[in-house]
Amino acid sequence: MHAIPKTINQTGKRVLARISTWPTIYFSIGLLVVFVVLFTRGSRGFLSPYNLSSILGSASILFAVGAGVTWAIATGGIDLSIGGLMSLVSVIFIVTVGTIGYWAFLLCVLVGIIGGFTNGLILARVQIPSFIVTLGMGGIFTSMAYLISPRALSAPAHTFGILDLVNGSTMGVRNIYIIAVLVFIVFFVIQRFTVAGRNIFYMGSNIRMSWLSGINVVQSKQLAFMFSGVGASVAGVMLACRQYSGYPTIGNVYILTAIATVIIGGTAMTGGTGGVLNTLIGALIMSVLQNGMTVVGIDVYLQQTILGALVIAIVAISIDRKKLAVIK
Amino acid sequence: MSTEAVVELTGVTKTFPGVVALNKVDFCVRYNEILGLVGENGAGKSTLMKILIGLYRPDAGQIRIRGQLTTLKDPESAGRNGIGMVFQEGCMIPNLTVCENLFLSHEDGFMRHGLLQHKMIRSAAREVLARVGVTFDPDTVVQTLTPGEQQMVEIARLLWLSSLYEIANPVLILDEPTTVLLEDETKRLFEILQEIKQHASVIFISHRLEEIVENTDRIVVFKDGEYVTQLDPRQAEITEIEKLMVGKELTLDHFWVSEQGEPETDQPEVLGVNGLHLKGKFEPISFSIRRGEIVSLVGLVGSGKEEICECLTGTVKATSGRVAVAGKELRLSSPGDAVDNGIGHIPKERRSAGLALDMSVMDNINLLVLRTLKKRGFIRRRLEKANALKWVTEARIKTPSIHTKSAHLSGGNQQKTIISKWLSSSVKVLILDHPTRGVDVGAKSEIYGRIRKLASSGMSLLIMCDTLEEDIGLCDRMIILKDGRVVRQVQCPPDQKPTPLDLIDAIV
Repeated sequence: MHAIPKTINQTGKRVLARISTWPTIYFSIGLLVVFVVLFTRGSRGFLSPYNLSSILGSASILFAVGAGVTWAIATGGIDLSIGGLMSLVSVIFIVTVGTIGYWAFLLCVLVGIIGGFTNGLILARVQIPSFIVTLGMGGIFTSMAYLISPRALSAPAHTFGILDLVNGSTMGVRNIYIIAVLVFIVFFVIQRFTVAGRNIFYMGSNIRMSWLSGINVVQSKQLAFMFSGVGASVAGVMLACRQYSGYPTIGNVYILTAIATVIIGGTAMTGGTGGVLNTLIGALIMSVLQNGMTVVGIDVYLQQTILGALVIAIVAISIDRKKLAVIK
Repeated sequence: MSTEAVVELTGVTKTFPGVVALNKVDFCVRYNEILGLVGENGAGKSTLMKILIGLYRPDAGQIRIRGQLTTLKDPESAGRNGIGMVFQEGCMIPNLTVCENLFLSHEDGFMRHGLLQHKMIRSAAREVLARVGVTFDPDTVVQTLTPGEQQMVEIARLLWLSSLYEIANPVLILDEPTTVLLEDETKRLFEILQEIKQHASVIFISHRLEEIVENTDRIVVFKDGEYVTQLDPRQAEITEIEKLMVGKELTLDHFWVSEQGEPETDQPEVLGVNGLHLKGKFEPISFSIRRGEIVSLVGLVGSGKEEICECLTGTVKATSGRVAVAGKELRLSSPGDAVDNGIGHIPKERRSAGLALDMSVMDNINLLVLRTLKKRGFIRRRLEKANALKWVTEARIKTPSIHTKSAHLSGGNQQKTIISKWLSSSVKVLILDHPTRGVDVGAKSEIYGRIRKLASSGMSLLIMCDTLEEDIGLCDRMIILKDGRVVRQVQCPPDQKPTPLDLIDAIV
């Protein structure tokens, strides 16, 4: 009847529908290969050891924050507070590392746990959409960072040895990779081998069914957003160490890039699919893309346009429209 | 009844990747008739209807409307040709009023000096509604109406639109309208359809063959995307139609009654319900289910049977009363409490409440037993696969692989997946809420067989079915409810099944 909204071109829709049945991870790996080939041809320096190390370095940070957000997105929600949380953590780290040394790492992860837990607590108990809760909490985290220090803080020289926990190498492998791999292993094990991790995905896929099947959906949501907070805090520390400083806007750019990382990796916004392995590929794609565009000489300001367009295109292909009652 | 066709399709073919949904179909709708369209799920009925309302375009074939060769390119042009459809799930904007929905996007006729004249709209709405015999206030918000009333509004809208376009004999398509209706609403619907028929044609799709035979003028059977035959309802036998739909002889013992055990009073009581009460919904009720027993809750909507089940599954908290499983009293404050204590529940809304649609068959089957598929604290892929394969084989779930997304299975196989999920866990009591709703004839029989097996394996079942025949055929004992009270308990042993007629006066 007339009340049916006019759909977009039928054939176009069919092609999209068909592509969307392929496992998303193949698509992501394909995209990664395409970009690597393109940039290698575009610039000889792209595959140089120095440049590769730079790509993997930023991929490690992107992955840490993205792996966390993957959990939030797997519930069918979103976490917009990660930018604020990363900034807050970077400031706390730099302020405390001089006095408490290695304990600062632990303190920061604790801040991430508490921050993420607060997100989860509010949105699951009070039942508010996650994007509102985390938007608000992101503001609060940023504000707290400003209250601690409105200006950029540099790490005191005597702490550089401690910062080597991130910046240094172990047996020829950069520590930043090792941290990323550890984050991967922890989250992958939770996702793949534990009931709590699985339940988060069941809940993201169909919350009513999960509730009726006896899954504690409130707990699952809280857990997912806590993981998101942990990812953001680890990334915040990595960032602070890498830049030898902390400041209240350091994490801002990661709101877009981390969410883009998750989506390009193939975790659907509608929840229940994808996972940290997807996000690992996503982080490599994003990092290759950001680096490669600079290496081949694309205007820095144009790069944002390309990234934004790519995110929209990926969602256009991967989203399951049937699952959304209304496209908002 | 004229034999001339208002809509005529010749050689219509429609293919989707990998499937021929319609294969050179010839099909017509005559003036002033109610046409019953039957076929299993996947027989091509919905594809055909979607072509008629312009949602799909046929790959080959012609469509003639009132003799004119026509292309239906979208629902709008179908509407202009006087073809409209009332969807199963309804197709109105729930938070707008009846008026607003009735004339949605066609308000131009009610404009005076560039402003909408609400008084005019209201009186027009009353008139339009009167044509389908309903009298409620046109300012009612649609979501507060019953599904039956909503259907009437949709039918009224279609009729009004066709008069707006000055179409003499519009074609109304009703897709399984009666699944959401109460008994008297169904009766009303057919009365109104008989009236509408005087100046319109109706295509009526239903899985309930009784009502098709009783209320239509002609029956068309589809199978596997092809037109099979047409029948005269006055001579057609339901078993004959079923045979045509399925393409093979159905077992005479539809409900596998031969496998129903004799009532055994020495079996232990598994579910004990004592004085369970939900204020405003049902009065204190007490009953018990023995091991291996199938008990059926029967009653109209509003009789309280749905709410009783909701209380037993922990979805709704009862006002008072006690529930015990195997003698152990439960505290039911969430579905988790019910599940942990061995009460399983197969919901009516299969897709929205029963499945993780974008997850695999394996993930769906294993949901409840993941904690048992562990080794040294970690879930093992091998154990997961083994459990899923076991149930896919056992329940004969037709799926390309255990990794297929459950969304891609047919309704019957989805239902079997859900049943398997509960079976693999150690539930002692299973509540089946309309287990065969929207499932085709062939799969129904398999599900009946599965229910029978569950009982003989010792599970206690509480069922609510789509039809009274189903309830009678399946259950060992029946509890009839009316207005929140138990009015009768009826034994249904294999050799002395009551007939629906024996029971109907207790129900209504």
